[in-house]
Amino acid sequence: MSDDFLSRLREEPRPEFGARLEERLREIDADERARRSAPGPWRRFVPALAGAGLVAALALAFTLEPVRVAAREFLDLFRVKRFAAVPVDPQRLERLAKGGMDFKSLVGDQVQVVVAPQQPVEVASPEAGAAEAGIVAHLPAVLPRRAELVQTMVGRPGSFRVQLDTEKLQALAAVAGADEIEIPAWWNGATVDVEAPPVLSVRYARTIEREGQPPREESFVLFQSATPQVELPEGFDPAILGRLGLRLAGMSAGDALAFSRTIDWRATLLVPVPVQGGTFREVEVSGHPGLLVTVQAPPRTVPGGSAGRAHSVVMWSAGGQVFALQGPASRDGVEILEMAQSVTDH
Amino acid sequence: MDGVRILEWLVPAVPEEAVDWDAVYRGEMPRVFNYFRYRGFDRETAEDLTSATFEKAWRARGRYRRDRAGVPTWLLAIARNAAVDHLRRARMTVPLAEEALRDDETPETRAVREADSRRLRALLATLPERERELLALKYGAGATNRAISTITGLGESNVGTILHRTIGALRDRWTKEEPSE
Repeated sequence: MSDDFLSRLREEPRPEFGARLEERLREIDADERARRSAPGPWRRFVPALAGAGLVAALALAFTLEPVRVAAREFLDLFRVKRFAAVPVDPQRLERLAKGGMDFKSLVGDQVQVVVAPQQPVEVASPEAGAAEAGIVAHLPAVLPRRAELVQTMVGRPGSFRVQLDTEKLQALAAVAGADEIEIPAWWNGATVDVEAPPVLSVRYARTIEREGQPPREESFVLFQSATPQVELPEGFDPAILGRLGLRLAGMSAGDALAFSRTIDWRATLLVPVPVQGGTFREVEVSGHPGLLVTVQAPPRTVPGGSAGRAHSVVMWSAGGQVFALQGPASRDGVEILEMAQSVTDH
Repeated sequence: MDGVRILEWLVPAVPEEAVDWDAVYRGEMPRVFNYFRYRGFDRETAEDLTSATFEKAWRARGRYRRDRAGVPTWLLAIARNAAVDHLRRARMTVPLAEEALRDDETPETRAVREADSRRLRALLATLPERERELLALKYGAGATNRAISTITGLGESNVGTILHRTIGALRDRWTKEEPSE
């Protein structure tokens, strides 16, 4: 049995089928030309969610060190238009890891990086960065006192594919004590593809000078991104995976189930908030639902973050883009909320 | 729903002008069609899925990224998703397809070819999903092991190993299950 033999089932498509399909593609061409020449937005936007860079920044800020990468990629699947805070006990995750839960094996190894993330690169201006990121730049009209634009960067979070392994997921549920969660057998081998668009970050800074203390810089960083593409297998129920995540985060079975029922899993980004040192509240940003999270832990690796001080992050989605504004947790987050309310097309 | 596309990605990609899409259509349409045929779909379903694949690809041309995969590989990845979605929707066993007739054959050679093809299709239909998928990509679409690796997420050497093993098993069965004259 040769290659030639195995290829002998090949056949020519019927000419009438080929002609019909070609005609259909021409119609698509014509539609696209018409759309491009029509007035209005030059690009089609659909409901948005945070870019992976936003989530990456948040995950780093929330110091989930033991599972940082794996958890980030895991939770990325849930990001959409709304935000929901999930109390997470980092110590519980550490305990699970010490107790034998190998996150890298159970989750990380299932993730194939399709396009590697790239380090953010500095660009000349927000406009240049927006052009590079393929989005419309939105900038705050109101800045905190004495703050000014100091840096614009564009990061490329890349894309990845998660291959589901039912055995590993069930094992993950077992070590989390979530025996009530049953992973559907047909998930095995199914893939979830996530492509995250570039993230534009614009940093504003001011110098704080207090008598008897060395001057220090305080930063406000606005992240914005177009919507990523997340493709799930037909019939896939994200709620199952979501409940597993909630159980891993430390929720009881009953709470996870109740929480799960309140969530639109296809449109909600879960934001991990440390149970100790983290607070959150729902807010409204220019008429859009958002989430304000304050953490005491230092955001060690967030660009421009001032280490060692409490930070707030407000997240919202609007106009086909997703935003996160991070800054000092001064005045209970009111300062960055005022700044966020003023973010408009530029 | 055609897969669960919950979001759309808007990263600027290779300019459309960089790819001759007409040539892509002419060159790749038969390969995509044969990929579906080797997966076991009847002609009509293979045509529907080929149409769906190209229509989806045509609409997404602006987002095609040369740095990720060649156009043929990209198309086959879309085709593969279409096949998976279709099978999941239909939850069905695909019937063996009828044999195409060719004009340049004698009745005798045609009869032999048809018989061989029926046997081959029958053998292919008994393969596990993954093996059949790889054979469809390899022999239906003419994809390289590297392209198959990109599309399926399997390692390139793993693809080669599975194909080698599968073809060996097919060969054995072809010989052992020789129909009596």
